[in-house]
Amino acid sequence: MNSRPARPAARSGGRQGDTQGEPDTLALFDDLEPPPAPVAPRPEGRARRPAARSDEPGLSPESAISVATLTLATRDIIEGAVEPLWVRGEVVGLKEHRSGHWYFTLKDENAQIRCVMWASDARRALAAPDEGMTIIALGKLTVFPARGELQLRVLRIDSSGDGLWRKAFEKLRKKLEAEGLFATERKRPIPMLPSCVAVVTSADGAALHDIVSVVSRRCPITQVVVAHAQVQGEDAPKSLVKALHRVARWGKADVVILGRGGGSREDLWAFNDERVVRAAAGMPVPVISAVGHEVDVTLCDLAADLRAATPSAAAEAAVPRLSDLVRHVRRLGVDLRDAAMAQVESAKERLEDVGVAVARAASHPIERRRLALEGIAGRLHALSPLATLARGYAVITDDEGATITSATAIQPGDAIVARLHDGRIHARVERTEPGEEEVNE
Amino acid sequence: MSFEKKVQRLEEIVRALESKDMSLEKGLKLFEEGIACLRDASTELSKAEAAVQVLRERTDGILEATDLRA
Repeated sequence: MNSRPARPAARSGGRQGDTQGEPDTLALFDDLEPPPAPVAPRPEGRARRPAARSDEPGLSPESAISVATLTLATRDIIEGAVEPLWVRGEVVGLKEHRSGHWYFTLKDENAQIRCVMWASDARRALAAPDEGMTIIALGKLTVFPARGELQLRVLRIDSSGDGLWRKAFEKLRKKLEAEGLFATERKRPIPMLPSCVAVVTSADGAALHDIVSVVSRRCPITQVVVAHAQVQGEDAPKSLVKALHRVARWGKADVVILGRGGGSREDLWAFNDERVVRAAAGMPVPVISAVGHEVDVTLCDLAADLRAATPSAAAEAAVPRLSDLVRHVRRLGVDLRDAAMAQVESAKERLEDVGVAVARAASHPIERRRLALEGIAGRLHALSPLATLARGYAVITDDEGATITSATAIQPGDAIVARLHDGRIHARVERTEPGEEEVNE
Repeated sequence: MSFEKKVQRLEEIVRALESKDMSLEKGLKLFEEGIACLRDASTELSKAEAAVQVLRERTDGILEATDLRA
């Protein structure tokens, strides 16, 4: 591709001019591999030959150069002549050094090259490739002088299939799972009627539009608040984390939708970023994930309290249909009144029962009370039942608090208690008169 | 109390009133509480429509939600 004349090239034989991309470069290296003496003059050194003097380094036995000089010169030639290249190959023998550097060999059927990836570059890789994994590496060709070995200094790697993505994903998934971040017990229910839904997504994405339209259709009284975040690209994780923190700090949202519309695996990768997953798991209110991708689950999906397949589905899960709630509450109102009326009816029946006992127990000495009691019972019918009943009725119990429902259940001399709405009357039974008796009416 | 709690309480009250006899005093108290829950829940359901807002952090670090269209 480029053929920059390398500095030492002129000296060791003027090789510029034929360095065109990788194959030529390798050929060049091959040429250089034998000891220097035979290399120098022959192929295209013709023009220079007359000027060559035998005391020039390496051109005569007397001016032999050191191995270090040779390898370093070779390195300079190669580094100067070849731009970084993408190379595809199978990874063999990867060693992760303590320092963070990675050493491995890239090979295919008939060739191999030693590779090194410095810690600073290795850190940025998604994951370390597995043995036998085919990867694409962007590397700069160089020479490792201590071994006189051709070496590819790898700057970036990418798996040619989805190997690396999968590996990075699995590694983080296992780690977070072990911490219990995805545990079912952590999942919180979505509130029945959130008054505010926070949406963490791009303010100008289709996802927001979908969510807003679903919420305003289903439940227009629920407030939608957008916390804008970049959802793809290198800055997306940081931006998403910041938006989540904003929502948490603000504190007025009842539920959070975190997501974006569909995209490629790279586009969705921010939702697999450890920082984002942790921020989502740490939210003080339930989180619904809505990363639009049917096939791949993201780690945010696993950490969320609820996973929705699309932003629209997330909005449907976040808010109820208002008309359903209105109907439900109305129904409860009807049920409440019916149940209260049934209580009144049943109490009236019980009252009639105990009325007999009251009448008997209290007839003679406390005639007035008997009459008063009957009056109360009578009014019960006339007025709106609940309001009337609040005003008074009596239950007769024995001194242990057991309700007396029959005149035969009590003996003269027994202590009884008449419980009224504002207190109790303690009395003693004079006599009992079991038998039919009309009360109340 | 949240809307949800109010509805749950209301359901509880209805169930209690439906399922067992109780003193009228207690029944009435429950009924009144139920009516209050019902009123609150209905009020909440008839709130005005909300506009979409954006949550922004001002330069002084204070968070504020402002209308999206504004």
